[in-house]
Amino acid sequence: MKTISLNLRIWRQKGPGATGEFRNYETGPLSTDMSFLEMLDVLNEHLTLEGEEPVAFDHDCREGICGMCGAVVNGRPHGPQSRTTLCQLHLRQFHNGDTIVIEPFRAEAFKPLRDLMVDRSAFDGIIQNGGYVSVNTGGAPDANALPIPQRAAEQALDASECIGCGACVAACPNASAMLFVGAKVSHLALLPQGQPERNRRVINMVRKMDELGFGNCRNERECERVCPKGVTIRNIARLNREFLRAAFLSEEE
Amino acid sequence: MTHRYDAVIVGTGLAGLRAAMEMPPGARVALLSKVYPTRSHSGAAQGGIAAALGNEEPDMPEWHTYDTVKGGDYLTDQDAAEVLAADGPRAIFELEHLGVPFNRRPDGRIAQRAFGGHTRDFGAAPVKRACHAADRTGRVVLDTLYMESVRRGFRVFPEFSLVDILLREGRVAGLVAMEFATGELHVFETRLLLLATGGFGRVYRTTSNCFANTGDGVYLAYRAGVPLQDMEFVQFHPTGIHGLGVLISEAARGEGGFLRNGDGQRFMDRYAPTIRDLAARDVVSRAILTEIREGRGIQGGDCVHLDLRHLGSERISEKLSEIASFIRIYLGLDPSNDLIPVSPTCHYMMGGIPTNLDGQVRAADGSIVPGFYAVGECACISVHGANRLGCNSLLDLVVFGRRAGQKMVKDLSLLDRTELSSKSESRIHGRMKRLVESRGEVRVPDLRSRMQSVMNRYGLAFRSEPGLRQGLAEIRELAEQCAFVKVENRQRGYNAELMEALELESLLGLSELILVSALQRTESRGAHYREDHPLRNDKDWLKHTLVRARTEGPEVIHRPVVITRFEPKERVY
Ligand SMILES: Cc1cc2nc3c(=O)[nH]c(=O)nc-3n(C[C@H](O)[C@H](O)[C@H](O)COP(=O)(O)OP(=O)(O)OC[C@H]3O[C@@H](n4cnc5c(N)ncnc54)[C@H](O)[C@@H]3O)c2cc1C
Ligand code: FES
Repeated sequence: MKTISLNLRIWRQKGPGATGEFRNYETGPLSTDMSFLEMLDVLNEHLTLEGEEPVAFDHDCREGICGMCGAVVNGRPHGPQSRTTLCQLHLRQFHNGDTIVIEPFRAEAFKPLRDLMVDRSAFDGIIQNGGYVSVNTGGAPDANALPIPQRAAEQALDASECIGCGACVAACPNASAMLFVGAKVSHLALLPQGQPERNRRVINMVRKMDELGFGNCRNERECERVCPKGVTIRNIARLNREFLRAAFLSEEE
Repeated sequence: MTHRYDAVIVGTGLAGLRAAMEMPPGARVALLSKVYPTRSHSGAAQGGIAAALGNEEPDMPEWHTYDTVKGGDYLTDQDAAEVLAADGPRAIFELEHLGVPFNRRPDGRIAQRAFGGHTRDFGAAPVKRACHAADRTGRVVLDTLYMESVRRGFRVFPEFSLVDILLREGRVAGLVAMEFATGELHVFETRLLLLATGGFGRVYRTTSNCFANTGDGVYLAYRAGVPLQDMEFVQFHPTGIHGLGVLISEAARGEGGFLRNGDGQRFMDRYAPTIRDLAARDVVSRAILTEIREGRGIQGGDCVHLDLRHLGSERISEKLSEIASFIRIYLGLDPSNDLIPVSPTCHYMMGGIPTNLDGQVRAADGSIVPGFYAVGECACISVHGANRLGCNSLLDLVVFGRRAGQKMVKDLSLLDRTELSSKSESRIHGRMKRLVESRGEVRVPDLRSRMQSVMNRYGLAFRSEPGLRQGLAEIRELAEQCAFVKVENRQRGYNAELMEALELESLLGLSELILVSALQRTESRGAHYREDHPLRNDKDWLKHTLVRARTEGPEVIHRPVVITRFEPKERVY
């Protein structure tokens, strides 16, 4: 079994208002088969025994499905490995003696909570403004009432890959949530179920996004590079198109 | 802090969210979840959701009912299986209209694929019945239903953990929850309480379940006086990545992958000569465990190898890309060159809180506990009997989630409020204080790991009387050590260690109940396999197990199985 020792520089912050700082921790030898979050577990076990507060971080499935985990590792959300979440990162990606800087996702709209945890409920605020279909669910049970071409379904499916982790916002120099909103808007705009509310949805969601303090997309494409699910900026293009179309139509009305 | 609601739903997986959708505007409804709602474990479901739409080939709900009953090895309550199958097409239609992007056929209709145990014509041949949204079915349905509940403006309390259930005079009065961020206790006074807290795979060392699945809801219900049903039936998936439990789906073997033991031998030939590596989940799991037990694990250890190398990198990247990327991410291995270490992993709990078809919780005598409901993996209706079929769980969540919600709406106008005593938090407060002030030396991760070893050794897919007795003795000893657990972390907020200490009590309690139930069932049925009683015995055991709390310890009683039209037959595939 190969082992490495690492120098960790971790952002510590006691609470929402508190000032934070980086603190250094040296790990003992760790197996390269260990996952990044297991490394934090081990560190926390030590800290607790030494009477120091453990590093707070989010996680749940540890399988890259739930979108709960996330931190900026050496400047990159979810770390150096592409198309994976933080919980899927393993120490084999690092070398003995490496220094690893670990900090929370930073964005005006994501309030820091503690250490590596941030409040991503702003995403909910956006969803609340249209990320759903309001239909009467009581209708006749004919599951084939809505034929949809497989191609549209595939594009909608690609857009629905988004797990809402927030890495796109953290990676964007402007802290824009366009990739997230683009994914959500595309998913519904591509399906017939989403048509009745299509225009209202995109206008409301974009307005809410601005209001919550997310920045604007300047085509830096950082979001697409760090997205663990490979959601592409085509969704941003679609969002822009949808928005223009809706704005145009609402002027006509 | 005290809150007042008409209804509280604990758990925001698909079961809880689907029930919430029924709540009328204006009702005071709160949703509590230990993790952020869209991170609930339902999001992990990949395979799909079953319903007899008949889009690909002829299919009928009656056939689906039959498969569900047979899959459950006739322990399934057949009235429940009928509801599940008959309501399936409507449930899919509903999800589609809410915006779930199902995969499509060339003609635009919803595509369906084959899945183990789903057949046409009462077992004649496999049928394509599983609707799916790529391999992220659970994820997209969860996102869709969550958007719905956000839209309806229900009050969501994220990262609030249920820590106590308050019953008074045999009916629901409220609950206590701990807010993770602050460590504060909140009392919720409510007329109706729905538990949708999911499974508890975390009692085993390797599981495909997420970290939140610790069964607090189920165990607290038991402590509050509700019996638990069919706890001995635990489903294992044969190919979890060794040590991690992350699933490698059946597709790997479907494409031609096979298992090898430590001698490099293809051992499934000896256990299932005709279908070999494609035998049923329980059969393959037992074969792997036999190899391991007889010293033919890899380097004599506790795993075997899954071999995909002969498929070649092209076929692997074309047909099994997802699986290959998992293997690369978690093990740093390349399946076209390397063997993959696998072992059986705990996947699903058939047992749980007994309910009727409307999600109402049933007491030991079969009567209803007013105001108390359960649905989803934490409940036992029992629609999955002794063994759940793939893709039937998601359907269960949306079909019975809706029914439970509808029943709650009716009951809202009937049930009035029960006064809570002013000392509602005192019990849990005492427990928490003990943990923090303990002079003991026992650490949570250590005790949990010992519990999981015991459960893996004695409570896995192979069971026998001496083993179960030994396991039970060891679990009870560990449970006693709970009194000496020491929580070192003194923080009030974000105290994960304290959370884990509370969860451990549930896990240990549930471990005991699994073993007690397994010990008394002296037959083999579905996922429950007794080496000393290898055959199914309908004469004595065509009945549900109920285990209830007594001062002397858990007591087992039984309840008959509901049989409507399918008389028990041998389960052969
Ligand atoms: C890897 C994997 C793949 C699967 N694939 C399929 C499939 O393809 N098809 C299929 O039909 N089934 C599948 N299953 C099974 C299915 O996903 C689960 O049975 C189902 O999702 C359970 O849903 P639920 O709503 O009951 O609970 P969950 O989705 O597990 O949600 C539980 C909820 O309860 C909350 N909770 C738990 N404890 C507490 C507490 N103490 N306080 C507050 N809240 C609490 C959690 O936060 C969460 O919100 C799969 C399971 C796994 C593990
Ligand atoms: S913990 Fe679920 S995606 Fe990382």
